[in-house]
Amino acid sequence: MWPFDAAGGPGLSIESLWLALYLLTFALHAVFVSYVAAGAAYAGVAAIRHSASPIAARTRDWLPFMLGAGITAGVGPLLFLQLLYQRRFYTANLLMGPRWGAVVPALIVGFYALYLAKAGERWRRIALAAGTACFGFVAWSWTELHQLMADDPAWRAMYGAGERFHLELAVVPRLALWLGAMPVLFATVAAWSATPAERRRLAYLALAGLGLAGAAAAVLIAGHGFESAHGWGPVTVLAAAVALAGWVVTARRPDGAGLTVTTAATAAALVAGAVVREVPRLAMIERDRATAVDAGGLAVFVVTLGIGIAAIAWVVRTVRGASR
Amino acid sequence: MSPLDSPIPHYPVNDFGPLMKGLVIGGVGILHVFLAQFAIGGGMVMAYLERLGQRGVQDARTFVDGFFKILVLVSFVVGALTGVAMWFTTIQVGARTIGLMIDEFHWLWATEWVWFAIEITAGYAFYRHGGVLGDRARLRLLALYALASWMSLFWINGILAWQLTPGRWLDGGGIWAGFFNASFWPSLVFRTAVATTLGALVACIVINTMDLPRERRAALIRRVSWFAAPIAAMPLIALWFLAVIPADSRSWLLGGSMPMTMFVGVAAGASFLIGGYVVVGLLLHRLYINGATATLLLGLAFGATAAGEFVREGARKPYTVRGVLYSTSIRPAEVAALRASGVTADDPYPLRDAYPSDPLTRGAKVERALCDACHTMRGANALVELTRTWTDDQLRLNIAKLQHTKGFMPPFAGNALDVEALVQLLRWEHAERPAGFAPTSSPEHVAEIARWLDEAGTAPADAPGSGADGASAAGAAGAERQVP
Repeated sequence: MWPFDAAGGPGLSIESLWLALYLLTFALHAVFVSYVAAGAAYAGVAAIRHSASPIAARTRDWLPFMLGAGITAGVGPLLFLQLLYQRRFYTANLLMGPRWGAVVPALIVGFYALYLAKAGERWRRIALAAGTACFGFVAWSWTELHQLMADDPAWRAMYGAGERFHLELAVVPRLALWLGAMPVLFATVAAWSATPAERRRLAYLALAGLGLAGAAAAVLIAGHGFESAHGWGPVTVLAAAVALAGWVVTARRPDGAGLTVTTAATAAALVAGAVVREVPRLAMIERDRATAVDAGGLAVFVVTLGIGIAAIAWVVRTVRGASR
Repeated sequence: MSPLDSPIPHYPVNDFGPLMKGLVIGGVGILHVFLAQFAIGGGMVMAYLERLGQRGVQDARTFVDGFFKILVLVSFVVGALTGVAMWFTTIQVGARTIGLMIDEFHWLWATEWVWFAIEITAGYAFYRHGGVLGDRARLRLLALYALASWMSLFWINGILAWQLTPGRWLDGGGIWAGFFNASFWPSLVFRTAVATTLGALVACIVINTMDLPRERRAALIRRVSWFAAPIAAMPLIALWFLAVIPADSRSWLLGGSMPMTMFVGVAAGASFLIGGYVVVGLLLHRLYINGATATLLLGLAFGATAAGEFVREGARKPYTVRGVLYSTSIRPAEVAALRASGVTADDPYPLRDAYPSDPLTRGAKVERALCDACHTMRGANALVELTRTWTDDQLRLNIAKLQHTKGFMPPFAGNALDVEALVQLLRWEHAERPAGFAPTSSPEHVAEIARWLDEAGTAPADAPGSGADGASAAGAAGAERQVP
């Protein structure tokens, strides 16, 4: 299925496998980091308003774990990104230099801020504001890096001028798209442990996020045209529309089946959207690096992945069983 | 030419001011290794004490549910973050090196990632829900955490050890020949011993903060002290490591390079002191260790870790991946071509600073391409200071025959004009960058440099055929694994 068979030649290429794993791990990573970024902002607003929101309380409780999970899940796409676009990724890293390196200290500050916010009320507002700012900075940095990777004609001048920022207008709608998607993903995860009244509130948040994401997507489409991507584009739109309808239903009947529908649709939109996001870069995939193509160890990875899924499933089952 | 089109990858080079790049990656690496290894050893200590607790040692159970588990949690999350920082820093310092490692070992790296995901899940599940779990589930969760964190070490250790001793991988032996290389086992045993020691020392500090009578704290300390005992074997592990690494690397560590020898001494001395205190004081004489002493020993362990990492990095010189990639991010087989074309010919990136003449501009580009990975101009490991007392002819000869000037330097990967341009740049820097600088170059100088380059050959100093007999690159290039 396109784009996984787009490498040319008979059968699936190893690049197709890297691409599939990149997209899946990226989607998983996006769920966790969206929870963190949007959740920190949500809890921060609740703290500023002195609201005793149970959603905010639960979110504060989960945020440190979600950040840990997001970073761990992020190592997967980071690995496959280096296989697919090695020279572009490294060059963009180096061009942004210390400004890119600031991503890690920002995450460390954000991590401790989340614990501070969880620990007590005294520093909560400042901690959550600082955490949200850190995660916003990281989201912006990745968006900027994504754009810079593709803009090789600009590299030489950027390096010569000693510039560390790739400030171009295209970063804005792309970042806005993510800033819209993040509350949707946060609401989707948070709603499963929410009461009906809380679900209604989360539905409104998700609908606002979908509105922002839709507006940003419209700007991107106006600039670049609608990307059908062999059907993945329409699937993304359709899935987003179903998610929207699901949230509308959830807002009206929070204890109905709307959440199940919207969760499935959001997952589909996320994966299909990840494919569409990748389409402009497919021609940039660096093929035929013999060392990478011929590298062994795939069987070990597959077996370990099976063990890992089983182990994590056991942990989740054990913990859920005890919690009941 | 686009930066993407050059046959040899050219990446933008960043300047870290007075810090040489090795210090930057060393700083991040030492912090990461220290945290990550503590998270591994801490997990083992917790699993052991949980088992004791379930067999009736109530203080052990109190310890497991106390402050220590928070330290382990913080360590594995910050360890993960500094792990990502290591990736980014390595890109800054040697993009081609990390690219080669990813290319060759990506499935094993992905395997390590799976174990890491298990580690995070199990560790956090215990931290969050340990209090409501039954004994069996608690022990299994901690055992899973300890196993997963050690497996994560197992996989990454093979990839890092391969950089120094790729062994049969160079002859086409495949990924497993590269992974289970000569220094794999001594490195794994060394890191495991360090991890358990760090876990034990931090546990001793935490036990001292517990609200228990002294004799009960002493009893707990005696239990966890066993985890620090393996560090007493460090001299043997070090000898094992020294026995399997290449002879030239061994010679740097054993007197060939005094800074390296001193770091070996620091690592060995600190390990000996910790091991001696633990075995003689804690285990044989059953002494009590207070929080201050445990903290001091932990500081020594940090010093040993830092020195050990420095030795591991330094022993690879002049390579980042032995036989495959020099510290300049140039492959041995590429040196001969660069001798013909010059190292600046395909460099797509301009200089950020202006220089008063074309030879100095070229010299600055040569310095950026061939020296900047390990040297600064005026900061740490400064070229200006290293060469300040050399005469002009010494500069020319020593740079042209670089691998013979110092055995841990790679062969000069440029032509005679590049050497001369670098010589003029260094003279200009020695003279404090005068505006009206008079070069001393002549065609005769360039011809002489060309002769010296030919005499030196393109093979590294340790390769057969390298030397003043005019050997070509054939010796090194023939033995080299062909990689992009």
